[in-house]
Amino acid sequence: MSQTTTHQSKEAFLAPFQKHLNGKAIVPHIRTAAQEALAGLEFPTKRTEDWKYTNLKTLQQKSFKQASEGNISDVQPWLIPGLEADLIVFVNGQYQESLSSITYNQGIVRIVPFHQLEAADMPVFEQHFGQIVDGEKDIFSALNTAFADQGVMIHIGKGNIAPKPVMLLHINQGEGHTVGLQHRNLFVAEASSQVKIVEAFFSTGEGDSLRNNLTEISVAENANLEYIKLQLESETASQIDTTEVHQGRDSKASVFTITLSGDLIRNNLIFKLNDENTESHLMGTYLLSGRQHVDNFTQVHHKMPNCYSNELYKGILDEKSSAAFTGRINVYEDAQKTNAYQSNRNIILSETANIYTKPQLEIYADDVKCSHGATTGRIDEDAMFYLRARGINETEAKKLMIQAFTLEVTENISIEAVSEYVEGLVANRY
Amino acid sequence: MLSIKNLHASIEDKEILRGLNLQINPGEVHAIMGPNGSGKSTLASVLAGKEDYEVTEGEVTLDGNDLLELEPDERAGEGLFLAFQYPVEIPGVSMTNFLRTSVNSVREYRGEEALSAGAFLKLMKEKQQIVELDTTLTKRSVNEGFSGGEKKRNEIFQMAMLEPKLAILDETDSGLDIDALRIVSAAVNKLRSPERSFLVITHYQRLLDYIVPDFVHVLYKGRIVKSGGKELALELEEKGYDWIKEEVVA
Repeated sequence: MSQTTTHQSKEAFLAPFQKHLNGKAIVPHIRTAAQEALAGLEFPTKRTEDWKYTNLKTLQQKSFKQASEGNISDVQPWLIPGLEADLIVFVNGQYQESLSSITYNQGIVRIVPFHQLEAADMPVFEQHFGQIVDGEKDIFSALNTAFADQGVMIHIGKGNIAPKPVMLLHINQGEGHTVGLQHRNLFVAEASSQVKIVEAFFSTGEGDSLRNNLTEISVAENANLEYIKLQLESETASQIDTTEVHQGRDSKASVFTITLSGDLIRNNLIFKLNDENTESHLMGTYLLSGRQHVDNFTQVHHKMPNCYSNELYKGILDEKSSAAFTGRINVYEDAQKTNAYQSNRNIILSETANIYTKPQLEIYADDVKCSHGATTGRIDEDAMFYLRARGINETEAKKLMIQAFTLEVTENISIEAVSEYVEGLVANRY
Repeated sequence: MLSIKNLHASIEDKEILRGLNLQINPGEVHAIMGPNGSGKSTLASVLAGKEDYEVTEGEVTLDGNDLLELEPDERAGEGLFLAFQYPVEIPGVSMTNFLRTSVNSVREYRGEEALSAGAFLKLMKEKQQIVELDTTLTKRSVNEGFSGGEKKRNEIFQMAMLEPKLAILDETDSGLDIDALRIVSAAVNKLRSPERSFLVITHYQRLLDYIVPDFVHVLYKGRIVKSGGKELALELEEKGYDWIKEEVVA
């Protein structure tokens, strides 16, 4: 009996996410395979090992609708002050050409919404789409792979340096009902290329929402990619995000996951270090309150020798919020001279917040350096007193302490306008 | 200026201060000495408003204002300054940001305009020279990685920035080598004025060779049991505290 119920609710749940394609599918074989896989995949439950700390029941009970077309005519309120970037805007999941400004969409640096892909883009697109994330292994990846029609490909050709950062701006204009949205990115940095990408999520108005997003990232030999994800939606906005990065020899990739609001958020972040001498940074900070829940589920696969990965997640939890952090590091047999560092540090501001933190190291090589650490504590009372004894009131002192705590993450964002912006949001979060 | 009457304070139900009386007038320098555990640092913490201590009886006023009713930051605004015995390291908060927030918070409390960035930097440069503080230190996080001597000089630097009415130096001399002690003392002496008072808490007479007090008090079991001029410090140095303890018992 329970099986029938689950099955039906899955169908009902998935329906609104499925209407987008209308036969316009590119790479149809991948889409079809994902659709077929989807039929056999179930929602993770609390008994699913990788989902132990995140309960999807409440989300599953909601009936989502497709978002209507938005009517935003000016994105100024959502721009990052001082950030000069190529801008791609999505409102209610739909690409907004008139609000976007892509200045170097010529030649070898391509920033292009999926439905504007041209014949010349297809080889790169086909080579990578659905090849980085396995679109058949879990329900959310399959759902996105099968049905997400809106997305962006950013392709930086060999040896090119994107002259400006690229900003992907998502705004969900709530209209009182519960909407489901999907978005997909494909970032391809060819050999010796460089690019910085900022993706920010905002919402306005009323209503629940769920985004099921997926981002595939390929960083080829000697390339350098930085990707900063800013989750800034309202307290009724949920998000399931899956991001996977594949790195080639001598490459460097950094992913920042900054979560300052939202309802239920699950971030799956996977790094596969497929060749030697790579450098990877997985950095995140989450500042929660109310009943928010954020689950950062990360994996780093050290497959080859001489790779370096550094993971740092810092969280602050207030009221009845909760967070989970899983840091899985796999060091394969061939991956000698691996350096893998991981740290998850948390400050709890209330008696009722919860954090579950779980480092998981699986090491099959014998000459490696790996470390992990997790701490959870309160704001340093002695430091607070010191600040207050210098005339700084409690609110300001707390701001300074919170900003200082997250600085270790935010100061590593290499785009100054973005790190300043985030530090400002952090300071004023509570 | 500062008036302490019958002050009783405890921590975790243990009474540390047991009826302490002290009157400090403008421009005076008072030294408080006493054996370990007599309540010297508790007095400093209670005056600065540390929450761990509970005041069970008595009153403290600064220029007639009830100090015990005020938050620690308001006490700083009223002109009270505590140079910490153990200055706290605060990674991630830059000295400059900290000092600017501090100075402007105090100015705001006093109804003065915030300093412009330029005026603030000028003030910082000027005051840094008083304590011969390495300019690179202000680029670092608060006290992070500072040597013991640098931390203490940093306290006096902050005092110079905030220009308090009453400065409490809580064992500022402990752990200082003679050169650092000279620098710190010279800075304190430069800041002495007819309007500014000091309460110097110390374990050792040595400091008082450099910062010469008007009055010396002996704290024992949470009370001032003996007061005198600067010569009392010398007597204590020579004879230790036992004779005082005996006097009290008798």
